[in-house]
Amino acid sequence: MIEEYKKVRHRWNAAWSSLIPISVFVLVVMLPANLLSQESTVYASVLSTKLFVVGAANPETGVFYKKTTDDTVWQHTGPKNIRDFGLAVHAPSRGQLICIAAGNGVHKTTDGGKTWKTTTGWQVTEVLSAAIDKANPDFILCTTPYGVFRTMDGGATWAECNNGIKHVFASSVLIDHSDSNTLYCSTEDGVYRSGDQGNSWKRTGLSVDGVRVVVQHPKDPNTLFAGTDNYGIYMTRNGGRYWEKCAAGLDHQTFYAIAFDPNNPQVLYAGGYVTGVYKSIDGGQSWRRMNEGLTNLNIHSLAVDPTNSNRVYAGTLWSGVFCSLDGGASWRSAGLTGSQVWTITVQPF
Amino acid sequence: MGEVKTSMVGRAFLLLIVMAGSVSDHSMAQTSLTTESRFEQRRQRLIDVVSQERDRGFFTVAAKLSAGRDKDFALAMLDSLTTDESIGGMFYAYSAIGTYLRLWNQLPDSLVRKLRQAYRERTMYRGDTENHWVAYYTGLYLAAQTWPNEDRSQWFNGKSSMENFKESEEWLNRWMSTTATIGQGEFDSPTYFIVFMTPMLTLFDFAKDPVMKRKAQMTADLLFADFAAEHLNGNYCGGHSRDYPDDIVNPLSAPAALWAWLYFGEPNMELWQESRYRPRYRGGWETVFGAMSSYRLPDVIHTMATDRSKAYVHTETKRTRNVIRFGQEKNPPVYKYTYMTHDYALGSLQGGILQPIQQHTWDVTYRSDKPNNTIFTLHPFYSGRELAMFFPEEQKFLADEVDRYHLVYTDPNKWNSSSPYEQTFQHKNAIIVLYSIDKNANHQHIDGFFPKNLDERIEHSSGWIFCRAGSVYVAFFPLRPYQWIEEKVDWRWRSTALKNGIVLEVGSSDEDGTFEAFRNHVMQSKPAMNSSGNDLIVNYETRRGDVMKFTFDGKRRLNGKAIDFKTYKFFNGPFIQSERGSGIIRMTDGKKVRELNFKKATIKEWQRSQN
Repeated sequence: MIEEYKKVRHRWNAAWSSLIPISVFVLVVMLPANLLSQESTVYASVLSTKLFVVGAANPETGVFYKKTTDDTVWQHTGPKNIRDFGLAVHAPSRGQLICIAAGNGVHKTTDGGKTWKTTTGWQVTEVLSAAIDKANPDFILCTTPYGVFRTMDGGATWAECNNGIKHVFASSVLIDHSDSNTLYCSTEDGVYRSGDQGNSWKRTGLSVDGVRVVVQHPKDPNTLFAGTDNYGIYMTRNGGRYWEKCAAGLDHQTFYAIAFDPNNPQVLYAGGYVTGVYKSIDGGQSWRRMNEGLTNLNIHSLAVDPTNSNRVYAGTLWSGVFCSLDGGASWRSAGLTGSQVWTITVQPF
Repeated sequence: MGEVKTSMVGRAFLLLIVMAGSVSDHSMAQTSLTTESRFEQRRQRLIDVVSQERDRGFFTVAAKLSAGRDKDFALAMLDSLTTDESIGGMFYAYSAIGTYLRLWNQLPDSLVRKLRQAYRERTMYRGDTENHWVAYYTGLYLAAQTWPNEDRSQWFNGKSSMENFKESEEWLNRWMSTTATIGQGEFDSPTYFIVFMTPMLTLFDFAKDPVMKRKAQMTADLLFADFAAEHLNGNYCGGHSRDYPDDIVNPLSAPAALWAWLYFGEPNMELWQESRYRPRYRGGWETVFGAMSSYRLPDVIHTMATDRSKAYVHTETKRTRNVIRFGQEKNPPVYKYTYMTHDYALGSLQGGILQPIQQHTWDVTYRSDKPNNTIFTLHPFYSGRELAMFFPEEQKFLADEVDRYHLVYTDPNKWNSSSPYEQTFQHKNAIIVLYSIDKNANHQHIDGFFPKNLDERIEHSSGWIFCRAGSVYVAFFPLRPYQWIEEKVDWRWRSTALKNGIVLEVGSSDEDGTFEAFRNHVMQSKPAMNSSGNDLIVNYETRRGDVMKFTFDGKRRLNGKAIDFKTYKFFNGPFIQSERGSGIIRMTDGKKVRELNFKKATIKEWQRSQN
């Protein structure tokens, strides 16, 4: 055990010592200069209080957002008094198109939140996540305990698309950023892949129970990470054919959230049940806990500001949002105190 | 018993076929004057009582305006309900429109505008349970019907009146069909009964579509009949999908009891006058919508609820709530068995996890003028995995989250629970309840509720515990050592063996004569348990001479023959018959037959042949 620990620490330290020049390079070379000074918008799916009682008088809940340069002032958008889980913000529209995944279905705005429509009917409920195709915003997917649903016409009609999925409880879905025919979804019995926009699915090489989230490398579409309930984090570099478990440095097994640094995909963050935040700076080979200032270790959502890689957000279960301005080295509360933050995303506008 | 059969129906003299919109009027005419006049008195009384309440709520407003009491106060209360944005959801959705439709002619235009505004600006959360959806879609259906032809900008969900109407209609039709063919998931709940009844009666009163109106009436009939068959003097007896601990240990405090009082005329006391019952009714006056409704209970169902001249066995099939994880079947069947007499009812579900959180698996409930008139046992199980079977949130947090609202979910002393380690085998007034508790289970004991106000509780050297409550006798045989824990209203019986169980028989002075005779009769038999290895088997010969053999996770054998739950009908008893999946429910009081055909949306009534 001690030898293993030393190996992990050595690998971590080696990677860490090389991070500073990498970071500088990334910041200087990869980011347009105007983005460095820009503020972004952070969106969060929020259940405002532990005392939320369905059907009773409740405080405002749903989606909240704020500028990253603000301290803790959050504004509400969309339906109030709902049980929401996920959200998807369409970046090319600069936040004009947003979908909320919630108990009532998929709520959608195309005017930045001025007006909303529940696009789904009674067939779609307890929606856990949503994904919007960047290139074709009419192509939207959502996941529910009853499987994956999709619309090809911006939400006018929805259809169930679970062909090939054994246990349809689906917690997350993503559209391959390099090819929108290719989809991945996390389910109760593994990660599934579709090559035809959801007409059919095949289970990838990952068949563990309770996969909670799957995320894709921002540059290499064949590299994905999956967080599971009880089985840790898995990584594939070949589009899901083979997966390997990420073990080095991970002392926990339940992960609900994994986030890449979009500017340096070698950097990842992960969090879950009593984990706090783990960070990897070597593409997931090794991990290290970064919890200074984090007063709640139950993490359900993570996001890195694309305009500032050092600004990282962590959504907790019942302690609101925490923010790090130093790449996870330290954390402070960023508001929504006492909330459950199921999903969080940061957009560069 | 079980007289209403197809062959007999064929021979029946068809007196009357009532269909479509005329059914309601005819049902009223069928009700005897005495029954009807008594109902009229009760409903007026309830409206009067609720109209004196001060608690804010649509039902209080409706009662006050209906009774012509405190009109200004009621309008101010309604105004505050329309402007308080913290409330909004499925209960608001149906009670707001229900209040409007009943009393629109008393409302000033400004309040009407505010009510309409609420459906535009307030999020009506649909919720995550069956009763939530019934409330939500009933409210949306009636609101869309009331304000038709309005575009998307006029509704909270961005859908037009027509879209909302169609969606609501489609779901309500689907739910009614499911309820009439494979049963409710939230079945036989003494609490949530009210959230099914109130929307259905409101839908019956105000749906303009005659088919929807009739189906709402049929569903109300079905739900009332479902209750009636297991009703004893206001008590909703036997197993329940969902119930709260206070109501489980004091069955007449459950909200369904007030509906029993209003529609069945039992119990013969005004429950709100009783301080021990009152807390449940404050702020829960939904029943007043029933009192204001034009729906009238068919006299067949009234008889079902009140005629206890003959003992009977009644069985039902229901379904679980949707299983979304860790299961092979979305809605596994629930098998329910009830033995009903004039003095008591013994009822049970088969055991296992059939509903999360609030399941009540079995009890004996008896007629009594005292509270806490019930005896039962349970294993206080909890787990995140159980909850994650039914709820989409993270299983590692679900138990804590449920505890925040239900307060007792993880409590070792709770009085409601499903448990994978509990199974029952009932035959008439005898039941064997077995527990095979995993060594890693959170709580490793079983508890039994014995009211302190029993007239007698005797621990006999034979191992039997005998109880008497008035003319009702209970014999309780623990299969393992136990202890008693004194509590405020009960003696908590507790046993800590992992392989465990009890055998119980119920009797009465009518059936057994004296308490002593009952005891002597029962003591002629002694349950035999084999719990070697993984086995847990109990053999028992009842005092009526029936031999029950029950193997945990195995067969239930009665007199050597295995019980096959798959042969259970949707309803099977002397008062009500239905094949699972048929959508046809026949009820009878022995003289008259009432048939609900949900596939054709028809109601028929006819007199039974005297031959």
